Amino acid sequence: MATRKGAIGDDSIIRVPVGGEHDGTDCLAAAEDAAETVDVVAVGSTGVDALAPLVLATHDGATAFLFNCTAERTRAALEALEGGSLPDAAATVEHDPGTTDLPTPPKTNGSAALGVGSRRVLAGCGWRAPTSVADYRAARDGDLVVESAAPDPDATRERIGDAALRGRGRGDGSTDAPISAAWTTASETDGEPVVVVNGNEADDHARADRLLLESAPLAVLDSALATAHAIDATDVVVYVNDAETLARRRAQEAADALADDRDLDVSIGVVAGPDAYTAGEMTMALEALEGNDRLEARRRPPGPAQYGLHGRPTVIHTPRTFAQIEQVLGDENLGGVPRDPGTRLFTVAGDVDAPATIELPTDATLDDARGAVALDGGFKTACVGGRFGGLARDLDVPASAPGLRGARLGTNGVIELFGESTCSVALAGRRAKLAREENCGRCVPCREGSKQLVDLLRDVYDGEYQAGMLRELARTMRETSTCEFGEEASRPVTTAMEAFEPEFRAHADGRCPSGTCDGLST
Amino acid sequence: MSTDPIWENSRATDADVPLTEDIAPGTANDPPAGSTAGATVTIDGQAVETEAGATLLDACETVETDGEVLALCSYDDEELIGPRSECRTCMVETEEHGVVPSCSFPAEEGMTVETGAAAASEARDVNLDLLLSNHNLLCTTCGANGRCDLQDVAIQNDVVEPRYGVMHDRSELEPIDDSSPFIQIDRNKCILCNRCVEACNDVQVEGVLRMEGSGEDTRIGFQNGADTMMESTCVSCGHCATVCPTGSLVEQGLVDATTLPVPGFTHKNSAEEIVGEDYEGQPGQMTPMKREHSTENEPRANAESTVEGDD
Ligand code: SF4
Ligand code: SF4
Ligand code: SF4
Ligand code: FES
Repeated sequence: MATRKGAIGDDSIIRVPVGGEHDGTDCLAAAEDAAETVDVVAVGSTGVDALAPLVLATHDGATAFLFNCTAERTRAALEALEGGSLPDAAATVEHDPGTTDLPTPPKTNGSAALGVGSRRVLAGCGWRAPTSVADYRAARDGDLVVESAAPDPDATRERIGDAALRGRGRGDGSTDAPISAAWTTASETDGEPVVVVNGNEADDHARADRLLLESAPLAVLDSALATAHAIDATDVVVYVNDAETLARRRAQEAADALADDRDLDVSIGVVAGPDAYTAGEMTMALEALEGNDRLEARRRPPGPAQYGLHGRPTVIHTPRTFAQIEQVLGDENLGGVPRDPGTRLFTVAGDVDAPATIELPTDATLDDARGAVALDGGFKTACVGGRFGGLARDLDVPASAPGLRGARLGTNGVIELFGESTCSVALAGRRAKLAREENCGRCVPCREGSKQLVDLLRDVYDGEYQAGMLRELARTMRETSTCEFGEEASRPVTTAMEAFEPEFRAHADGRCPSGTCDGLST
Repeated sequence: MSTDPIWENSRATDADVPLTEDIAPGTANDPPAGSTAGATVTIDGQAVETEAGATLLDACETVETDGEVLALCSYDDEELIGPRSECRTCMVETEEHGVVPSCSFPAEEGMTVETGAAAASEARDVNLDLLLSNHNLLCTTCGANGRCDLQDVAIQNDVVEPRYGVMHDRSELEPIDDSSPFIQIDRNKCILCNRCVEACNDVQVEGVLRMEGSGEDTRIGFQNGADTMMESTCVSCGHCATVCPTGSLVEQGLVDATTLPVPGFTHKNSAEEIVGEDYEGQPGQMTPMKREHSTENEPRANAESTVEGDD
């Protein structure tokens, strides 16, 4: 198949999502089976699980949204389209027939999550055929990013520098820091530079990178190619989880589609690594790519920009960062706050009906994300930033890296919401245990520190709350661990101590205010 | 290294030396440590000139420092060993980068270091105590008593009572590997400094020892997957025991050399169990497994991995 069927500009078409948590493969088969004149195109998920599979039936500049669609309803919708009319649906939206962005239904009709924040890097998710270069070109007014960026690497680097774009996600080589420094270092270091797209994330709640690779892989690869030209790299390596077969396949198809579309002088490889949390850490990602049979973090400095994959200068970013790079190089007005321009992707999860991955401009607050999900029961606490995120009592926090850090929360794009029955002490304890179980074992503050962290929390249940000892240990882990894992591992504990101190005291007195710690044992 | 003709030749003529590609030490491909150029740095107010390749610890070692920079896991005697930079008892405060591990941090022009800063000394203290918390601190029955780096730095740091205690419950202890007539392994004394692994792989090029496991299960193991030293491919060169900073790897002739006579208490019965059968006479230097050397490690990331399923 040389050219992938696109979805954009088609007058009568049915879009079926394949991918995400509630896969629409059945619906796709039903539609393909019944289709005569109407086009059936597989798209990616929108990121909103509560609506999935979300089948979209478009006719004549109007689209019917079929939430939680079944094979039967898909067939019925297709028959309606074949007959020249739109099917009945919970929401129908009129739009420019050639629009390249998912039209968003009004916030009623149970589809509120699609209207949360702003869909910019997510605009094509669920709407464009993920691996169709034609669709992607249509969205970019014809030009690929790499086509305009390749001829002038200096200008590309300058634009990234001027934009002050920061890296997104824990697996990025420039997490929360301006990425242009790493680009400059990599291009100035002796050796053959390489670009790594780090999409490996074993935290099931942090879904943004996987969503981008499944639903919008071309934007990620196109900007990775532009990055390669900017730093004079010879190849791009996309690194994903072993279990994420669809993300891997879409990335490969997108790479093939780009290669069919134009002569690539930079090669793209797609590689799967272990489904372990540590495997997403930037240097363990490199270790996995080098084929090491045991993963541990590398000593630093120097970091990957100087000594990366096989010792080569390496620029390593997450798909989330590459999606922002596409915005910068595509001359989009990034918006957001100047210290962290652009948007950030968050997966809202926890005690909710279904997780949703949404996009917030960095000048929004996390409160805006609440509308994306329905919380079971009253809100008590949020864990922001992923597995080793910070616990907070409210979400009145800016969605920017400096804002999140200032509130001592994590920036890995996860907002877990918990209801009244969640005990903060137990929650912090569970995260400490994860740290103890899953660290790579290399350095003392993390390997031994996480054991003592769990033990000190156990002491709370045994009647002794040693706040000073806990803080001292957490500080040492944070400041002296080798990698981001150990630096962040104690955050759930310290932030819980800060936000829910009385609960720690109550546990030491033998009471669990949430009534969830049975017999007060961990 | 593989492009060095001398290396290529020696590899071709010595069949016993495993190819470096076959050596799987289980450790990361670390970048080079140290600075790229000579520099002048300030350590506790004193100007120090350093050479290319120097770390902050190198600079600290040339002057009287305010704080005790313990630097337990660092090893200076062999170029090919370290810095592993795992114990984090060498932390110092820098004006430029905050608290950093001096043993591996490059000495860069103009850096200002304070060894006695509260944050740095707290970090060293806590990390040393963390090491001790995972250590069977029965020095009196240990073969390394009196020549143990951990013991030395604990004394140097005036440790009276480690804040997290020590590993004392005998049921928590791992059995001592007493199977080899040459080297005894007591993993309850191991600080995972990796010196033995590097001595065995990078210096001796024997490819016997490796780092294995993760988290609290991280331990020194064997590349051929053996459970005991006797079943490994060890040639009993003794290099690993020479570099070991603790009583974890000790030559059999020395296991009781420095223990103190405590009635009814020996090194071996201080741990619950011992692995290894009695051996008779003096066997050859090589373990039986040496000849059947094989490395059973499979890469985990696989470029050829295929994708199943269909859209
Ligand atoms: S911080 Fe934890 S995960 Fe990172 S190197 Fe140290 S032990 Fe390994
Ligand atoms: S004694 Fe054995 S394990 Fe130790 S360095 Fe020599 S060959 Fe390796
Ligand atoms: S056995 Fe000795 S040399 Fe080897 S890692 Fe343990 S302490 Fe270090
Ligand atoms: S001596 Fe620096 S980390 Fe051990």
